[in-house]
Amino acid sequence: MAESDADLIKRAQLRDLDAFCELAERYARRIHLLASHYCQNPQDAEDLSQEVWLKAYQALQTFRFDSSFHTWLRRITINTFLNHRRSNFFRRRGQTTAVQLLQIDSDNSGELVGSSSVSPENIYNKILFGSVVNALAELTPSQRLAFLLRHYEGMSYEEIANEMNCSTGTVKKGVWRTIAKLRARLSPEPETPEPLTDLANEY
Amino acid sequence: MHNCREMKERLIEMVLDGVDCAAELDGCAECRTEFAELNATLRITRRLNQVVADENYWSGYHARLRQKLGTSEGSSHAKAQRRKVDAEKNRASDLRLIFAPLRLCVRTAVRVPVPLVVLTILAFAALGLFAVRASRRPPVQTSVIVHVPVEVPVVQEKVVTRVVYRERRSFARNSRRSTNESRVESTFARSRKSPAEEIPPSLTGFKPAEDVKLVVIKGGAPYEK
Repeated sequence: MAESDADLIKRAQLRDLDAFCELAERYARRIHLLASHYCQNPQDAEDLSQEVWLKAYQALQTFRFDSSFHTWLRRITINTFLNHRRSNFFRRRGQTTAVQLLQIDSDNSGELVGSSSVSPENIYNKILFGSVVNALAELTPSQRLAFLLRHYEGMSYEEIANEMNCSTGTVKKGVWRTIAKLRARLSPEPETPEPLTDLANEY
Repeated sequence: MHNCREMKERLIEMVLDGVDCAAELDGCAECRTEFAELNATLRITRRLNQVVADENYWSGYHARLRQKLGTSEGSSHAKAQRRKVDAEKNRASDLRLIFAPLRLCVRTAVRVPVPLVVLTILAFAALGLFAVRASRRPPVQTSVIVHVPVEVPVVQEKVVTRVVYRERRSFARNSRRSTNESRVESTFARSRKSPAEEIPPSLTGFKPAEDVKLVVIKGGAPYEK
């Protein structure tokens, strides 16, 4: 039977690394999803998400069970993201994105398609993901974070504004601008044979 | 009344909240298209959750995280140890700083001329003698202030209030007199005037005459008959 979050937290507060790693396994995907959309580089996303966990491990003694662990962790995530925005964290290693890493040459395309992990659908999804990340990259980090928290975390505008120390109007404007940008980027173009939105509707 | 602009703002929130409002938009084709496009855009981003990383990635991710946590814990232990050692070192250096002047006095050998030493010793001796004398001198008697209460008779003044009544009419009549006279006349003198003067004229004792003499006055000239 799986141990509850509270038990794992109590064990982790006593410096039980296994307990903390189990907690991390439960929540890592959510944090990494935000980080991967926030950063334009997969390596940066991993570094940023792992930094969140390092900070959480260091600050776990201060967790008093007043809120849920997820809420507490989300606060650390937002602070870490905003602090990294201020520091010169994002090392632009030649602007390598997931899309650029997976661009298929005519020579090795067959090899990629044949492999089990790189199916045509997977490649298409990664191209799509690249488009989303590129669209998000054109926005300010605050707008990007506001959209991610609203869309992926389901937070209300008031909650986001409270966490990010800004007004509700600013958050709302940021979210709408992000959606407009995404829509423009993912909208079907006249010359595109297979519009992205139509493809999306198929799923 | 359907307002497309207001509806578009609401549509974003509906799509973000995952509310299906297609039935609401049956009347407006524009809003329906807007909703479909927004829904499609955000559905793509939702679908990408699984694309971000596959299962193989996660095992490596957790191994790397565990390694980082272990390293950070080790480094934090090392940091704590280093901090402890540094604190001890600082304490020792502080003590050394406090006692440094004393050690300097004890250890340092400075060549001093003999007359200066003699003068210094004499000065110290003189100061000591002065201190001894000062301690033996009888204490100076200081004057003591004694407070004795003395009774002093105080003449008390009595305040008498007198009300003086003044008649208005007589004052008015008097005011008609020459100003000099009225100024000289005091209030007290006026109060002592005969009461007959003050009685207004009346018809008591008046007897009418037998013949009535009428004087007709014509025109404006006086005494014209």
